[in-house]
Amino acid sequence: MNQLLRFLIVILPILILIFFAKVLLVEEEINFANFEAKNFPEFQLNDLSGNPVEAESLNGIKLVNVWASWCITCLVEHPFLTKLSNNDIEIIGLNYKDNDAKANAWLEKHGNPYLFSMYDPRGDLAFDLGVTGAPESYLLINNKVVGHIQGEMNQSKWETIFLPLIQKAKRSS
Amino acid sequence: MIGEISHFLSLSAVVLLSLVLIFNLFFSLNKFHPNQLILSVRLFNQACWLVFISFGMYVYLAISDDFSIAYIASHSNSQLPIFYKVTSIWSAHEGSMFLWIVFLTAWSILFINSLDKDHPLKKLTLLMLSLIILGFLLFLLLTSNPFERILPFGVIEGADINPVLQDPALAIHPPMLYLGYVGFVISFSFISAYLLNGDFELQWEKDIKNWSFVAWIFLTIGIALGSWWAYYELGWGGYWFWDPVENVALMPWLAATAFMHSLFASSKSDVLKTWTMFLGILIFALSLFGAFIVRSGIIDSVHSFANDPERGLYLLGFSGLITLLALSIFAYRLPALNSSKLVVTGSKESFLSMNNILMVTSIFSIFLGVTYPLIIESISGEKISIGPPYYNTIFSPLILIAAVFIMISVDALWQRSMSLRVLFVTATAPTLLSLLSMFLIWRATAVFSILAYIGIFSGLLILFSYLFRTINNVFNKKYINKGSAVAHVGLGLLFFAVSMNSILSYEKNLNLAPGQSISVNESVQEFSFDDIRVLKASNHDVISAEISLMHDDREIFLNPQKRKYATRGQITSESAIHASILKDTYLTIGDQLDNGSWTFSLKINYFIKWIWFSAALMVLGMLLTIFKKKVL
Repeated sequence: MNQLLRFLIVILPILILIFFAKVLLVEEEINFANFEAKNFPEFQLNDLSGNPVEAESLNGIKLVNVWASWCITCLVEHPFLTKLSNNDIEIIGLNYKDNDAKANAWLEKHGNPYLFSMYDPRGDLAFDLGVTGAPESYLLINNKVVGHIQGEMNQSKWETIFLPLIQKAKRSS
Repeated sequence: MIGEISHFLSLSAVVLLSLVLIFNLFFSLNKFHPNQLILSVRLFNQACWLVFISFGMYVYLAISDDFSIAYIASHSNSQLPIFYKVTSIWSAHEGSMFLWIVFLTAWSILFINSLDKDHPLKKLTLLMLSLIILGFLLFLLLTSNPFERILPFGVIEGADINPVLQDPALAIHPPMLYLGYVGFVISFSFISAYLLNGDFELQWEKDIKNWSFVAWIFLTIGIALGSWWAYYELGWGGYWFWDPVENVALMPWLAATAFMHSLFASSKSDVLKTWTMFLGILIFALSLFGAFIVRSGIIDSVHSFANDPERGLYLLGFSGLITLLALSIFAYRLPALNSSKLVVTGSKESFLSMNNILMVTSIFSIFLGVTYPLIIESISGEKISIGPPYYNTIFSPLILIAAVFIMISVDALWQRSMSLRVLFVTATAPTLLSLLSMFLIWRATAVFSILAYIGIFSGLLILFSYLFRTINNVFNKKYINKGSAVAHVGLGLLFFAVSMNSILSYEKNLNLAPGQSISVNESVQEFSFDDIRVLKASNHDVISAEISLMHDDREIFLNPQKRKYATRGQITSESAIHASILKDTYLTIGDQLDNGSWTFSLKINYFIKWIWFSAALMVLGMLLTIFKKKVL
């Protein structure tokens, strides 16, 4: 019994360590993977006020941000998105697995940085896009998804990942 | 220039601490020389002072707006009052890590110099502390250097502190919390030193008792302040969210609470010693785990700093190293430590060991809640979240058991079984009274939730049992341990307040134009939106609404605000709160709608202030224990 206990006291922390190291290393791989541009999936969704969303409204350079009223990290990135929407880029929300009343209340309470938000309660479009959770952000250039950020959007991610892509697109056109 | 000197001083501290370690590890193989320890202590003290001076200079840099330092440029601004220039230092990762290390150093230098010159554990404790400080200083300088310059030219104006953090609470919440977290480095190093040393006749409990008690006070205040800040200032509308970062602060708190109870038993009657040592190591290990979770960005949370795998790996590696070091020695010494004495069923020790088991179960449940989403994600790639329902379900049976044990164990005796008659006498009246009160609460509120009622019952059980003890104390002069009584009444109150809050509080979303008024419900008879105005403050614009309420036949005026900050363009919401003893009226203003009306969120929060009052009672109980003579 005592032998087992002694063994566990050492081995359990080692297992926990290995597990976290693995999670960290896998995350690193994903972050540096090259992103392949692909077409924005077709969809039939309404916005949060109930009007159908036209595919053309996604033309040009747009940021699609996946959010939900239940998502705490969305609140964290919210001020930064507001700042972006004021002078840098038009942001379209993808309201993910949420309830429209709650989502609208959330926007009323915290402010609305989005041009409009697509309402995707079942996560259909999100599934086609490859969303794993909220928040996530996709960079769209002429209806093509060219960049993807998982988790909180912030100044450094914006500057190191999305901004170079936008500048490249602007130069080539 | 001052930046470079400050940077250089921190580097010098690294060199000195390395010297202490090299010097002792390589030269103590030869015969131990008495001057060796004196020299080590001197080197160590000097290293600590270098860290303090370096931090002092860094504070000066922040006050004098040196925006050529990258970290200060991105977190401060010349327009800020000096107070916020200083607090901006710990508003993000690099600076807060620096502060963390300064506190670590402060605790260490105080403890080392408080030990007798020839204390048998002094040398090993010193080495352990040097290793820990060295590891974190290297972490700071290698992966998150706060001294980095913007070259070749600095910026003219800083990017400003995040407005959410532009609040006096920022000045005290993180420092208190850090003081608590790192304070347990003392029990960690001292117990490791004791185990390494191998002389088990030595009494070690009293040397770290008060240090741990003080660290516990800081940790409790830090957590309570964070919760208070979220509710009153940040407008989150609640006091606890089971957010990963709140959880990683709660785990060391639970471990520390268990540790202190266990320490009480092991110093009184020579049992539970291994438990106590294990807990003493566990607290700091959990604090390190918390630092890792927050600073590696492995879990998305409201508190998370930058997402940086490199930092994460370093922190994980180093925290893992020292935790494993301590746990391996513990496992190695375990057979020699086991006391031959058995714990008598129904004795005070048996209840205290139950307490240890309950606390460790709680810690494990929280740990599982924090890591389970990660485990699932790494196995199946799916994202899941674990929220309040999980924790509420896990904790309500645990607190019920805890309450029952608190009620019956206070009258238990050391090393002797408790008689059934005493058990019956102590338990009957509080149980009946609690059941009766619960019934009355149910009649009055007409709300039923099994989990909340378990919480209410547990809280009342503790409160009533201490009520009877107080009566006994006053009229029959029966002994009562004041510190313990006050702290446990605080705990009972906490259970009661949290549960009552969960069944009674409600939220209403309203939509009004200026000049309109409506009736919300029987309690809030009238809600009038009198006026709205735009004001200008030094670094932000304010939209301020004037609201009057008829709430329970009393007129209340509230001014919820929205602020727009000039530098970052960020909008923050300032809730207006009217507090009475029983409940808070909490009002937040939302956005203006197209038709000119505004949205409001009205929350009625019951018993919310009691939550912080109960935390204050626990701290008071601990203070009474510290200042009482001869506790151990």
